[in-house]
Amino acid sequence: MRKLKLNHTSISFLPILVCIPLAYQILTNLHFGGFELFREFIISAFNPEINNEIIITVVKRLNQTLLIALFSWLISIIFGVIFGILSSNIFYKIFNIPIFFYRIIKFFLTIIRSIHEIIWGLVLMQIYGINFSIGIIAICIPYIAVNSKVFAEQLETIEDESFDAINQIHGPKFSSFLTLIWNRIVNTLKNFGLYRLECAIRSTVMLGLFGIGGIGTSIFLSFQTLNFRELWTYLWSLAILIILSREIIKKIKFKNLNKNISIFLTAVFFTTILLTFSYFLYFIFNSSFVDFYSINSLFKSSSDLVFLDFLKLIIDTIILSLLSTAIAISLPPFVIGIFNNNTSRILIRLLAFLLRLIPPPVLILTLLTFNNPSLSLAALTLGLHNAGITSKLLFTNLDSQDKRNYIAMKSLGTSEKTSWLLGLFSQQAKSYLAYCTYRSDIIIRETAIVGVIGSVGLGWQLQESLSSFAWQEVITVLIAYSSIAIFGELINGKIKTSLT
Amino acid sequence: MKNILLELKDISFVNDKNLILNKINFKINSGDKIALLGKSGSGKTTLISILNGTIKPTKGEVKYFNKKYKELDLNQKQKITTIWQDLRLIEGLSAEQNVNCGLLGKKSFYFAFKNLLNICSFKRAHKYMQLCKIPQSIYSKEINKLSGGEKQRVAIARSLIQESEILLADEPFNNLDPKLITLIKNLLLTHENKNNIKTPSTGLISLHRLDLLDGFNRVLGIKDGEIFFNLDRIKLKKSHLDKIY
Repeated sequence: MRKLKLNHTSISFLPILVCIPLAYQILTNLHFGGFELFREFIISAFNPEINNEIIITVVKRLNQTLLIALFSWLISIIFGVIFGILSSNIFYKIFNIPIFFYRIIKFFLTIIRSIHEIIWGLVLMQIYGINFSIGIIAICIPYIAVNSKVFAEQLETIEDESFDAINQIHGPKFSSFLTLIWNRIVNTLKNFGLYRLECAIRSTVMLGLFGIGGIGTSIFLSFQTLNFRELWTYLWSLAILIILSREIIKKIKFKNLNKNISIFLTAVFFTTILLTFSYFLYFIFNSSFVDFYSINSLFKSSSDLVFLDFLKLIIDTIILSLLSTAIAISLPPFVIGIFNNNTSRILIRLLAFLLRLIPPPVLILTLLTFNNPSLSLAALTLGLHNAGITSKLLFTNLDSQDKRNYIAMKSLGTSEKTSWLLGLFSQQAKSYLAYCTYRSDIIIRETAIVGVIGSVGLGWQLQESLSSFAWQEVITVLIAYSSIAIFGELINGKIKTSLT
Repeated sequence: MKNILLELKDISFVNDKNLILNKINFKINSGDKIALLGKSGSGKTTLISILNGTIKPTKGEVKYFNKKYKELDLNQKQKITTIWQDLRLIEGLSAEQNVNCGLLGKKSFYFAFKNLLNICSFKRAHKYMQLCKIPQSIYSKEINKLSGGEKQRVAIARSLIQESEILLADEPFNNLDPKLITLIKNLLLTHENKNNIKTPSTGLISLHRLDLLDGFNRVLGIKDGEIFFNLDRIKLKKSHLDKIY
C-alpha cells in the first residue's frame, strides 16, 4: 500500500476535519429559546437605527475610538521601530555590543508580546481604574512588542554582503547603520506599519467592550439592552471608519517626500518620543491606584486554584487555540474552492468582512442566543473571526497571482474547481500556510477574549480572579497564558522557517 | 625604493574545511596597477576580501601601510576602496543616493540622514556619475529599476567618490559594452587629481578578459587558491596563462 504523502495544499484543507466534532457538540448544545433574538439581530443589520441623537453619539464615540487608536498606533509604531532595532542582530554587529543584551531585550519583548492587549487592559483597569490612558497603554504594550518583532525580522534579512560593503566605507557607525536599515524600516512601515492602524482600531473597539470607552462600549451596551438596531448602527459606522482609514492609508506614499514633509515627519517622530516619555513619567508618579497599594498585594492575596482544575483550564486554552487555528486555516480555501463562481465570491468577501468587523465577544454573545457555552462554540467564534482575516489575505494573493496555469488547465477541459485548486491555490498554499502560522500566534493570545465571555479556558478564570482581586491567581493565570503563547510562538516559528 | 602599501605574508584561508587560499605572498606598491587573473572559483574574490579587511585570514599576516588592520585609524582604512563583484548597492535608494553613500566616511551622521531623506546635495555625486557616463535621466531612479550596466557604473561611481588611494575591484567590467569598458578601464587605471576629481593611484583589478591587460604594469595569476605567477605584464607569456586556465 502506498504511503500517504502530505503537501502544502492538502495540509491547508485537512484541518477542516475538526468541524465534525465541533458541529456535533454545537448541535447537541442547541436550544431554541433565543432564535427569535438571533433573527432580530440579523434583520437589524439591514435596518439600523438612524436619528439625530444616535448620529451625535456615533460621531462622539468614533472620535474617542479614533483618538485612542491613533495615539496607540503612533506610539507603538515609533517604539516598535526603536525596539525592533534594539532587538535585531545587525545593531549589535555594527556597534560591537555583547550579544547578551540582544538576548535580554528579545526575551523581555517575547514576554510582553505573549499577553493580549485585552488582558493588559483588564489588569491595568483593575489597578489604575478606567480611563483613556489605560486604553492607550494596554494597546501599546503588546503592540510595541509585536511591531518590534516584525521590524527586527526585516532588519535581520539584511545580507552580510551589504553590511560589509557599507562598513568598508568606514563612515561613522551611526551613518552606516542608518543607511543599512533605512530601506527595510521604510518598507516595513509601508507594508505593515500602516495596516497596524486598522488593528489598533479593532483593539480599541475590543477594549471598549470591556468599558474603556469609544464605540466598543456603545456596541456592548446596545447588546446588553438587546437593542440590535442601535448595535448595527454602531457596527456599520465602525465599518465606515475602518474602510476610510484603509483608503486614506493607501494614499500615503513614503518615497520621494519633499523637504518639508520629511522635516515634519522627523519632528513628529521625536515629539512623540518626548511626549510619551513625559506622559509615562507623569502616569507613574501621579496615578491613583485603585485597590492595589503595593507589590505585597500580589503575595498576600489567597489563591483558590486547584492544580487539576488549573491544568484543565490550560488544556482547554490549548485545545481552543488549536481548533480555532484549524478553522482559520482551512475554512477560507474550503469555502472558496466549493463555491467558486463570481457571485459566491462576492458573498464570501462580504461575509468575511462582517466576520472581521464584528468583535469576537459580540459574535460569541450572538451565537450564545441559541447555543450553550462550550469550548466548541468559543473555538467556532474565534475560528470564524480569524477566517475572516485569512480569507482576506487569500483573496488578495489569489487576485494578484499569475493565472497562466489556471487558464492552461481550464483549456485542457479540467473542471473549474480542479483548475482553481491545482492551477491557482496550490501555488499559494505554501505562503498561505506561512501566514497562518503568524496568525496562529495571534489566535493563541486571542483565546483570552472569547474565554472571558464564553466561560472557557484561562480567560474565564482571569476574569473571575480579577473581579475578586485575587492577585496571586491573576499572576498564576498570566504566567500560564504567557507560557502557552511563548511555546506556541516557538513551534510556529519552526513551522514558518520550514515553510519559507 | 617603492613604497609598499599592502603586503600579504603566507596567507591561507579555510572555509568549511575547504582550503580557499594557500600560502599567498605578494606586495602591492604605490602606483601599481595589478591585473588579477584566474578561473572562476580560483579564490580571487576571497583574496580581495582579505585585502580590504572584510575577512580575516586563517593563517598569515596582512600589513596595510606597514601596520596590522586593527592598528589602522579610520583615515587609513578609508584609503582602500572596493568595487564588489555583486555590486552590493543599497536597494530602495536612488542611483545618486547610492553614490553619495560613498561619502559616508568623510561626512557626518547628519549628511547620512539627509541623504536618506533625499534632501542633501548631490553635486559631488553627479560629478562622479558624469565621469562614469551615467545618463542624467537615471540619477534619481531607484537602483532596482536600473539595467545591469547602469548598476555597475553606479557601483564604480560610489567607489571613486571615496577618493581613496588604493582600488580593489572584482570584475568591474561585467555588464559593460566594449566602449564603456575602455572608458571605465582608463578611469580606473589613470591616476587623476585635478578639477576636484581624484582617482586611485594604485589598483588591483580581477578580470577574465586577457585583451584588457593593456595599462596594467603587473599580472598576478591564481589557481586553486595558490599564486602561480606574479610578474611584470610585459613578461607574461602564453605558457603562464596555460598554467592557470
